[in-house]
Amino acid sequence: MSAVAPVAAPLQSAPLPGTIAELLGLDPDAPAVLFVLAFLAAGAVISVLMGMTAVLGIWGKRKITAAFTDRIAVNRHGPYGLLIIPADAVRLLSKELIVPAQVDRPAWDLAPLVIASSALLGFAVIPMGNGVQIADPETGLAFVFATASIASLGLVMAGYASNNKFSFLGGLRAVAQNLAYEIPLVLTGASVVIFTGTLQMSGVVEAQQAALVSLGPVDIPSWFAFVNPFAFVLFMVANLAEVGRNPFDIPEAPTEIVAGYQTEYSSVYFVLIYLGEFIHIFLGGAIVATLFLGGPSGPVLPGIVWFFAKMIAVYLFTQWARSAVPRLRIDQLIQIGWKGMLVLSFANLVLTAVIVGVIQA
Amino acid sequence: MSLEEPEPDEGVIEAAEEVGVTTDGLDYDELAELVGDRLLDREEHVNAEGFVVRPDEVQDVLFDLRDEAGFDHLSCVTAQEYDDRYESIYHLKKYDDPTQELSVVVPSPTDDPRNESANPVYRTADWHEREAYDLVGIEYDDHPDLRRILLPETWQGHPLSQDFDGEEPQIVTLREHANPLQEDHRADDADTMFVNIGPHHPATHGVLHIETVLDGEQVADLEPDIGYLHRCEEQMCQQGTYRHQIMPYPDRWDYISAGILNEWAYARAAEDLADIEVPEYARVVRTMSAELCRIAAHMLAAGTFALDVIGDFTATFMYAVQQRERVQDILEDLTGQRLMFNYLRLGGVAWDVPEPREEFFEKTRDYLDDLPENVREFHNLLTSNEIMQLRTVDTGVLPPEEARSYGATGPVARGSGIDYDLRRDDPYGHYDQLDWDVVTEDGCDNYSRLLVRLREVEQSARIIEQCVDLLEDWPEEDRETQANVPRTLRPDPDTEVYRAVEAAKGELGIYIRSDGTDKPARFKIRSPCFSNLQTLPVMSEGEYIPDMIASLGSLDIVLGEVDR
Repeated sequence: MSAVAPVAAPLQSAPLPGTIAELLGLDPDAPAVLFVLAFLAAGAVISVLMGMTAVLGIWGKRKITAAFTDRIAVNRHGPYGLLIIPADAVRLLSKELIVPAQVDRPAWDLAPLVIASSALLGFAVIPMGNGVQIADPETGLAFVFATASIASLGLVMAGYASNNKFSFLGGLRAVAQNLAYEIPLVLTGASVVIFTGTLQMSGVVEAQQAALVSLGPVDIPSWFAFVNPFAFVLFMVANLAEVGRNPFDIPEAPTEIVAGYQTEYSSVYFVLIYLGEFIHIFLGGAIVATLFLGGPSGPVLPGIVWFFAKMIAVYLFTQWARSAVPRLRIDQLIQIGWKGMLVLSFANLVLTAVIVGVIQA
Repeated sequence: MSLEEPEPDEGVIEAAEEVGVTTDGLDYDELAELVGDRLLDREEHVNAEGFVVRPDEVQDVLFDLRDEAGFDHLSCVTAQEYDDRYESIYHLKKYDDPTQELSVVVPSPTDDPRNESANPVYRTADWHEREAYDLVGIEYDDHPDLRRILLPETWQGHPLSQDFDGEEPQIVTLREHANPLQEDHRADDADTMFVNIGPHHPATHGVLHIETVLDGEQVADLEPDIGYLHRCEEQMCQQGTYRHQIMPYPDRWDYISAGILNEWAYARAAEDLADIEVPEYARVVRTMSAELCRIAAHMLAAGTFALDVIGDFTATFMYAVQQRERVQDILEDLTGQRLMFNYLRLGGVAWDVPEPREEFFEKTRDYLDDLPENVREFHNLLTSNEIMQLRTVDTGVLPPEEARSYGATGPVARGSGIDYDLRRDDPYGHYDQLDWDVVTEDGCDNYSRLLVRLREVEQSARIIEQCVDLLEDWPEEDRETQANVPRTLRPDPDTEVYRAVEAAKGELGIYIRSDGTDKPARFKIRSPCFSNLQTLPVMSEGEYIPDMIASLGSLDIVLGEVDR
């Protein structure tokens, strides 16, 4: 299945289900076997992500924000306050699920599921190193962007179905914002594809392995963040808007429209939205890591460790922005999106295409 | 701008223009001539003369006084009921010189208490007269919107009128209550949306309800609905004795660390009423503690404003709270309390600075030494932040004329370029002996108001530093913290006084009328937040929702003081 056959350092082997099949001595080409094993692999990846969300979303977020604001945060629930994780989980799940009068069901019930699952779906094609990749289709990058965008649908559903004016405003803001930022995001991603010549995620990672320059014994790898830092910055900014963190947390904007599209959600539905948001941030980190930071590559440590380290670094960046940067106004955001980012990303795309064309010629 | 302001030549020009102004203050005879035969009588109040005019000539007289005599500031409207009449008192001042005061007294008969509204002359009369109607029961003709303001629409009777029976239960039928679940109704061709922002909303800093009409993301119309935190403060003060029972209440008006500033408002009014001279040492201690309160209050104002614009409990907010925390520690050492200080007494302060004095002064000095660095950090995080400027510059614009008409004071007025600070213009305490500046900004926008507060913190620090120097060198035998005040105060009957101080949010005024007993017959609070909040529609109509929220934050209202 893998089109790019790695010879020297097998960072990417066959996708995970096939590997498991070979380990178990089953026939990796039998559809039934693959089907079952794909479920197993997906389950494993989802469990890891859920665990990450639990640690980083409940405990880590508190600790990180506290560090930025000179506080201590949780420290009484077990060692380093880690037991806050089960405590919070129980608290959130045991709350009453309040269904407001005249909400538009089933859209209202589906929205949290859509938000959470769309982000998870994107991870199906992300190569996490050490052979952990559920599938590696040739349209990998397009698939990631497509699934991540489904979240916008969930946000509109939540905002529109809640029968609440604040939710409604939040939903509309979410659409306006995602329209303004999705295009620069995808265009900047496309400039990477011009380099790699493939949409396949393993191919994108593979293209970043060669050394860009050698400084004595240290090789600087040709990660696209180094090859095209301009695109990297553009992508990071667009990604902040995509995941809705300061200065772009406009769809939620607690001081303005209470909580935006999630105002009316409580209990399990709230957990799902919260989960979806965090997994969306992780997915953003995973895309950044794969496209610009060489995916799972790195010295000494195993690839999967590097991959998660990069992903969490991007997560930390969003938390930093959240703690320090004021929020833009919706019209200013739209202006920056359509008049600034879009123009810049087109310029980046055209320039990249010209340069790559000249080099190849 | 220093204490020498206003410039002498400027004063001369204005003195020539305004009727009744002489080199040494106001000439009430000349003003009386201006009012002419519309003047029924002249009363002597402690702070100014009261001109009694007919209830149907209020607008006429006020127009003349504003345009000819230069009284451009309607500080307060006091309403009260006597045995034989109702009375509205319009306390007039000048923004250029608030020591030039005049009270316009409007009596109206008990059986039909009504007089002309001052609203066409001063916009601020709108809410003040609604409050007078609500609590006392005087009707104002020509008022655009005479509804109850603090009490529920369905309330029966007027609690500060003499025939009000507080024992009688308020019986309101279900039908009369506004139905919170009422169906949305709209005109057929309307493309606006009505939203209730508050009373429970993350940005209202308390229980404020803003009825907002949105046109898309923009505010088409808005009306603040207040009164959720009304605790009958005026009534409670009327039931307390002057000497000790009233002083704890001011702490509970603007409860955001501004306690001592509020206490001073009552202390100043009552001391003038009972003719009490405060020892100089106590005045310096008062000045120092009041400015500490101002730093704490302004820090929180900057923090919550940042919170409104940034949107989360983030670094700026926490840093601001940290700064406030250090001031609170100092205030706790001084007063024994962190919030409800109850530190001032009539004729002085409760006690001297704590022993060992050196330790207290050192702690205060340490704080003041760190302050410039910390304020610089705020400028880094807030005022010089590009996104912050994008959000706050030229939003929430309050032109100076509007600010004057609405009676805006404090940082809100000074952010609109109005050079008005009672600490300098109507000196009290030890302010006129110290070297400090009044901060003004000409931007009239949210950014200017933030900047004014941050810069005022620095000025407060200067004041405290000089006070600490003075207190440190004060000879031990002269440390007189309390004047000799009788155990029970009974001011002469029918003495009236209206006095204001510069509190954290602006001009905090107290009107007291005595009736010969040891309790005030009428106790009226002029809250700066109440007047400042009225400017919100001017600032935010046509703006985006986020800017409206930011403007609300920049007004820095405390609902405890708005609703009293």
